[in-house]
Amino acid sequence: MAKKTYDLLFKLLLIGDSGVGKTCILFRFSDDAFTSTFISTIGIDFKIKTVELRGKKIKLQIWDTAGQERFHTITTSYYRGAMGIMLVYDITNEKSFENIVKWLRNIDEHANEDVEKMILGNKCDMTDKRVVNKERGEAIAREHGIRFMETSAKSNINIERAFCELAEAILDKTSGKEAAENPERVVIDRRNNDKAPGYSKCCA
Amino acid sequence: MNHVDEIKIDQPALSFEKSPESDEEHRKRLEIEELIAQSEHHNIPLNTLQKLALTPYGLVNDNLRRILWPQLAGVDVNTLERAPTLGELQNHPEYNQVVLDVNRSLKRFPPGIPYEQRIALQDQLTVLILRVIKKYPNLRYYQGYHDVAVTFLLVAGEEVAYAIMEQLSTTHFSECMQETMEATQRRLMFIWPVVNFENPELYQFLQRSTVGTLFALPWYLTWFGHSLNSYKAVVRLYDYFLASKMYTPIFVTAAILLHRSSEIFKEDCDMASVHCLLSRLPEDLPFEDLLQTSSMLYDKYSLTVIEKEVEVLILKEKEQRIAEEKMLLERRKKLTRSASTNRSYSIGHWLPNLLKSRSLLVTTAVSIVVGVCAYYYKNQYLAPGIS
Repeated sequence: MAKKTYDLLFKLLLIGDSGVGKTCILFRFSDDAFTSTFISTIGIDFKIKTVELRGKKIKLQIWDTAGQERFHTITTSYYRGAMGIMLVYDITNEKSFENIVKWLRNIDEHANEDVEKMILGNKCDMTDKRVVNKERGEAIAREHGIRFMETSAKSNINIERAFCELAEAILDKTSGKEAAENPERVVIDRRNNDKAPGYSKCCA
Repeated sequence: MNHVDEIKIDQPALSFEKSPESDEEHRKRLEIEELIAQSEHHNIPLNTLQKLALTPYGLVNDNLRRILWPQLAGVDVNTLERAPTLGELQNHPEYNQVVLDVNRSLKRFPPGIPYEQRIALQDQLTVLILRVIKKYPNLRYYQGYHDVAVTFLLVAGEEVAYAIMEQLSTTHFSECMQETMEATQRRLMFIWPVVNFENPELYQFLQRSTVGTLFALPWYLTWFGHSLNSYKAVVRLYDYFLASKMYTPIFVTAAILLHRSSEIFKEDCDMASVHCLLSRLPEDLPFEDLLQTSSMLYDKYSLTVIEKEVEVLILKEKEQRIAEEKMLLERRKKLTRSASTNRSYSIGHWLPNLLKSRSLLVTTAVSIVVGVCAYYYKNQYLAPGIS
């Protein structure tokens, strides 16, 4: 058996309409690359990336889901184990933004109550095709008390920052809680828990 | 938009490499060519054709497939309907989803295919898919259906591919095209009894890992077309599935798991590790052997027996889920209870202060009353005497 080379394991989930760029966001974060020849995700897939936050090695297990509604019964069974969920919409696609409310409802129904959420408005490099302005994204995030960011997997804008902020929010939450709740979670050394470098040091 | 000069591809590109024909392939090709030459209108008896497709090397090459796939699928090439234009189908509610997936199917086209030709084929692919779901409104498009359609389109051309897809959508893929994926999810569980009968240790390991069946979902939905990186392997599998009964991909999946057992045992027994290992198909899978294993498994175990086992499994999983939920609820209750103990503790802490402030209040009130009474008493009774 392989030895654990990390202090904490965080399970994250990417959800949102088909074609908003979930797989591209994940690929940019995990492999620092982009291609427009991506294939549709069928069902669910995941990637792993280890980041360093406040001196801790955190293994991020990021699950990527199919956006088509037909797969929802399958993908929602993965909500329960997620500690962080990224809701992605496409700033050039009005419908994908309107559906954020629907995705939020899905989270309420299927995820843990204390799951950390973040809304991402992707494809922000495509300024000439934008139909959802940033203020609307910020407003819906404020309304639900969720973090928000505009991203571009293609131009590598805010991708790393988004994942690290989400991971940090989970870390904040985890620090004050019993680690035993998740058997896979390793007990945190609280002596080293002082607030320290943020995402500047993360993802090194 | 130029798709060619982008940086890096997530998945390895599909290999269309033509390997030189082996002696066995050569022999089989000559056999098939002779059968075609002897037959009337190129029609080979279905039994013979199925046997050719199931046995090693299948129908050998795409020239033969072009002639024989429609026969295998039960399609009459003489009564094909003319395809409508893309414009006629643009109002279909699934149009956007189909286009989205077709645009992301570049991997499935031969590299170096001229841009215009590829675009034309992609438009044909969109039309083909929408035609089927327009004709059968009870059948729903799913992501992955386009992977099946593109395979037939590239080999057999637009009109034949449509007829084959129409045939398959009402048989092999009809379950996948239901309103939800629940039936398909249940069907995938058919893998487990087969693995359990053949290798109980492997079955136990996979169950313990809680890997589930989602690693096999794209295999089942696309006849492996979505997940394989060798074009040659994809079309070979399509020979096999076209000649097989429904649900055969389940048995190919079981054969793959059994074949990879030693590799699986070396993996950490957790969901993520096992899912990761299983969902990526090795490049060098010995498909001819696996297909023979699959046929053997299909003959060995009846679907009725498998179904019964699956029912037991589903029941067990349900009980387990209920037990887990109960445990979670109890844990939550315990947490609330300890939280409320904390609260009463803090109330206890708070109470003495309250008491203190209350006694202060009482003392003040009493002294005011005493003062008022004294004043009244003095005025009423003592005042005359003093004055």
